[in-house]
Amino acid sequence: MTNVTNVKNVTNEQDVLSRIEQLQNRYIRALDDRNMRAWLDTFTLGAEAAYICTNRESVEGNLPVAMMLDDSRARLEDRVTFITKVWDGSFQDYRMRHFVQRLEHAEEGRLWRVRSNFRVVCTPIGRNQRVESVVGVYEDLVDCSGESAVFVSRKAIVDDSVFPRYLVYPI
Amino acid sequence: MGLDATGSRGKVKDVRWPAALNQVPKDIFVREDVYRTELEKIFYGPQWHGIAHEAELPNPGDFKTFQLGEIPLLINRDESGQVNVFHNACTHRGTQLEMADRGNRLKFQCPYHRWTFDSSGRLTFCPGKGEGYSPGFSYDKYPLARLRVSIFKGLIFVTMGEGTPPLETYLGETAQVLAGLMGGDGRLKLIGYHKTRLECNWKTYQDVDSYHAPLLHKAFAMFNWAGGREGVQYIVKPWGHIASTSILTLPEDGGRSLLKDPSLLEFRGEDPRNGSRVVKLFPMFGAVKHLDVINLRFTNPIGWDATELHYAYFAHQDDDEEMLRHRIRQSSNLIGPSGCISLEDAAVYHRQHIGSHTPGCIEFQKGVQSTSDFDYSFSQKDEASNLVKWDYYRSVMGFEREA
Repeated sequence: MTNVTNVKNVTNEQDVLSRIEQLQNRYIRALDDRNMRAWLDTFTLGAEAAYICTNRESVEGNLPVAMMLDDSRARLEDRVTFITKVWDGSFQDYRMRHFVQRLEHAEEGRLWRVRSNFRVVCTPIGRNQRVESVVGVYEDLVDCSGESAVFVSRKAIVDDSVFPRYLVYPI
Repeated sequence: MGLDATGSRGKVKDVRWPAALNQVPKDIFVREDVYRTELEKIFYGPQWHGIAHEAELPNPGDFKTFQLGEIPLLINRDESGQVNVFHNACTHRGTQLEMADRGNRLKFQCPYHRWTFDSSGRLTFCPGKGEGYSPGFSYDKYPLARLRVSIFKGLIFVTMGEGTPPLETYLGETAQVLAGLMGGDGRLKLIGYHKTRLECNWKTYQDVDSYHAPLLHKAFAMFNWAGGREGVQYIVKPWGHIASTSILTLPEDGGRSLLKDPSLLEFRGEDPRNGSRVVKLFPMFGAVKHLDVINLRFTNPIGWDATELHYAYFAHQDDDEEMLRHRIRQSSNLIGPSGCISLEDAAVYHRQHIGSHTPGCIEFQKGVQSTSDFDYSFSQKDEASNLVKWDYYRSVMGFEREA
């Protein structure tokens, strides 16, 4: 009996990891393609969906203002509106490549808490601009119960206290 | 020998400043020799620089580090509660004393020879207690070097100039707008920062941030939002400081046609007549209150071609939990380098900087009623209001207008 349970757990965990991996890849593809609709689709449809982009100084100093503070599904959808409608044509666009390495995962109730390192390289499209890297840690809550995993929340914590450039897109 | 823009070293003699008041030569934005002279004449000269607010240092021992020009500063609240601004360097061999952006410490120890200073800047320890040091050595001869400080409603200003006028004189009519912007009494609570680097000369930032063309921000048009109706504007001479208040108007539908969460554009403050306030002092400090966002902008050049900008955001100490939460959410997403109504600014700074390498002058047009004297009034949305500052800059730098 014990053996059977263990095998089942291992399978479950592998299944969970595979779903998390697929979610990470969908997220990376969405942003690297600058496809904001696809980015939005990596988050739960529930009102509690959240994306926060902040930095280590703010987290350690208990300073709640973030670079991007989308603490509800409605604000996530508004983020997409800023990028695709409000700012359209008024910024110099850039390409992104996300490099993400998962470090930890742990079950938390019916969700999974996941921590990963990220490095995002931003390459401006056009002349006279520097390539910049944004480096930090993702802290995520992931719902793996559905057909595909989705973020309930994703918090991107950037290491540097000074952002090297303006950020149009989420990290 | 002092560094004289027009004289002894002659480095920046060849800047040609046109006779017309509405033209500014582009090369001053891209020349390192001009920047070196600006450090001496402006940043280390008789000007006041806003570098911090007391709300960033609420407790004894709290400190933050910043820079004035190329000089590293250590700003702290000492054990007795007093605010000090020191050179961030050990008085022994000049090693940078504190590396952190912010923190809390009641003593600062230099890693090089363990000289130790208390929070009021007094030297309190040297290895061997000074034995074998130069004749006449004593602890009291080596306190941390201080800058002259003046505080207005908690806002901390410093100057390195000898003949800088009193801060009250320097602020002039901007003082009342600045006070109103900080809740009237300056009893603020720090809620966070946006810190970013701009790829532009400091004057490009200064100039774009002063005159805020609504044309740049599509958000205002999309939300069918006038932004702010004309209120009162002050220009303080000779520096060309600008302060303005606008009667706040909100988008007709509260932004609902575009936003799923229109609280981003909600105004919960009490007085819409003063819902929007802007203060821009020479040379760099700026402050903005828009809707319920209270934002002080601490800025410093990082060389001639980059500028570091720290947007600091505040709540008021009397805010209830709901208002505090609202300010945090609005400050995060409304302005700043990823803000709904301000992201475009950052994009323009860099393009302005690139364009400044072309020959000739930048031109001011809107609101210019004369190209030979300033004897006219400026409307709030006129770019001409920047010209008073430009003329002051020119005179401080010692550039003569061409005949």
